[in-house]
Amino acid sequence: MIKKVLKILIIEDEEGLRESIEEYFTEDGNICETAHNYQVALSKVNLYRYDCILLDITMPDGNGMDLLKIIKENNYPDGVLIISAKNSLDDRLDGLNLGADDYLVKPFHLSELKARVTAIIRRKTFGGSNQLVFNEITIDLLSKEVRVGKQLIKFTRKEYALLLYFLANKGKVVSKNAIAEHLWGDGIDMANNFDFIYSHIKNIRKKLMEAGCQDYIQAAYGMGYKFVD
Amino acid sequence: MKLLAKYNRVNLITTIVVMLITGIIYYQAISWILTSQNDKDLVVEEQEVFDYVKLNHQLPQTFQSDDQQITFTAAQPGSVKREFINTIYFKKVEEEDKHRRHHHQEYEAGRGLVSSVMVGNRYYKILIVESKVETEDLIQLIFTITICVILLLLVTLVVTNRLILNRIWQPFYSIMRELRGFNIADTKEIPQVDTTTDEFKELNRTVIDMAARAKLDYKDLKIFTENASHELLTPIAVINSKLDTLIQTENFSPQQSKLLNDLYGAVSRLNRLNQSLLLLVKIENRLLHEQQQINLKELTEEMIGQFEEIFQDKDIRLTYNLNDKAIYASHYLLEILLSNLINNAIRHNYRSGSINITLTAQSLIIQNTGESAPLVQEKIFTRFHKSSKSEGSGLGLTICRQICENFNYTLHYSYQDSYHTFTITF
Repeated sequence: MIKKVLKILIIEDEEGLRESIEEYFTEDGNICETAHNYQVALSKVNLYRYDCILLDITMPDGNGMDLLKIIKENNYPDGVLIISAKNSLDDRLDGLNLGADDYLVKPFHLSELKARVTAIIRRKTFGGSNQLVFNEITIDLLSKEVRVGKQLIKFTRKEYALLLYFLANKGKVVSKNAIAEHLWGDGIDMANNFDFIYSHIKNIRKKLMEAGCQDYIQAAYGMGYKFVD
Repeated sequence: MKLLAKYNRVNLITTIVVMLITGIIYYQAISWILTSQNDKDLVVEEQEVFDYVKLNHQLPQTFQSDDQQITFTAAQPGSVKREFINTIYFKKVEEEDKHRRHHHQEYEAGRGLVSSVMVGNRYYKILIVESKVETEDLIQLIFTITICVILLLLVTLVVTNRLILNRIWQPFYSIMRELRGFNIADTKEIPQVDTTTDEFKELNRTVIDMAARAKLDYKDLKIFTENASHELLTPIAVINSKLDTLIQTENFSPQQSKLLNDLYGAVSRLNRLNQSLLLLVKIENRLLHEQQQINLKELTEEMIGQFEEIFQDKDIRLTYNLNDKAIYASHYLLEILLSNLINNAIRHNYRSGSINITLTAQSLIIQNTGESAPLVQEKIFTRFHKSSKSEGSGLGLTICRQICENFNYTLHYSYQDSYHTFTITF
């Protein structure tokens, strides 16, 4: 897989959050630009093109939705991921109807954000071809089939989701909390019991290695897991 | 007791008592007047006797009369004291029969005057008795008429009271109806009641003001909760992202990673708590409107599937019997409802316990084994009530109940055969 440098614009007025996102994305060698208010964001959106724009809805001097309208009216091809504190279906639908690619509710894990951004960019760049290749692993995103070399591996729905999640966050430590929320949603309260995550990971590793795949998944200090190249 | 009934009772009792008292006074007065009339007659009669004796120096002849009798008896001089007495009047009645005529006596109430007279040197006691039967008849008649008037008056009073008061109190009842239907959370205002009575106008105005004030306060409180929760989201998001960034840095000691894990746990609890509060506000404000036709059986199966790993992990035996049930509700809220209830059934269960889920057209029942004592029905649905060991937010069941109320279902807890049972009745 050819490593593509992504250009990402982070529009977020909360400094702490903006810095964390920037750091998380630039570590991968991506290029991040930031905007802390509506005016700065507007000028950047009008001047440059990005692979993905992370758009906060509430800014001190404007509404992210207006910015989204401008992007869509000008037919800018940028992917847009709304990050919002508002978790209501109406807001979500408004955002998606206006042409946003996804909607993520604060607070979120950076790994979740990364997975969503990766998915958006994948949809934008590869168009119809939905193949994801990592070394000997090939994933058909449409039929949801995973192959190592030529061999098809049967994954359960959750195992498949987890594998994609790891691939999107290659080289990052993904916390168990983030995994739990990704797989079960935040509606289900695990009460900090992450034993089932362990068994899922164990199954993925076993299935991959039985097909002759390298062991890419490492446990990270009991806090989470890391998918390394 | 109804105001009308109370009023009628007081009214009736006082009317009857007053009527009785006035009746007695009335009776006494008439009786006194008539008796003194009698006495006057008696005195006239006595005077006639005296006059006769003075003139003729002998006793007058006694004669029969229908209503008066005079008798003279010899007595010891000075032994008779002049006085009026109530006595009996013997009335001779002649009755005609088929065969013969016969006499007999009837007793009637009488008024008598005892007096004395000297005829020559002989002393006589005079007894003049007059029948009071006419007087009594008169009194009786007057009394009957009075009683009839009183009864008529009472009946009229009760009937008019009932008719008029019911009508007069109508605005009051309609205000009451409005108050009973008053819901602080909905937007319906209490309407102006059509009345000309000042008191009810005042009451209506007060009630409308009060309702508006209560609604405003409630709204303020909701807005505050919502704003507070929203403001909390940003710092939580920052902590979360900083933690995510922190664990990317290498080389943690086991102690450090344990600390980080605890932090993650605490942040995620804080986040859930905050989300729950926001959700409660939304449900209570009925901000979640999007409703759709839902196959509850499918949704329940889906939710059970979500918990599969957790059932396995705790070795919980799940038995379920689901019938088809279509409902019209919010998918989002139902998911939360089911997930909260199943979550509780797992969390408050012991290892190798069991959970039963039954769905019928009337109800959804979720039963779980757990602590061997029943929970307190009133307490478990209140905010932030939770067992000391619980890691939950203490809002789960409150949310469940709110969701049920939102769709007009009832959520009920009971403890049956060592099963904690939650029943949703549609």
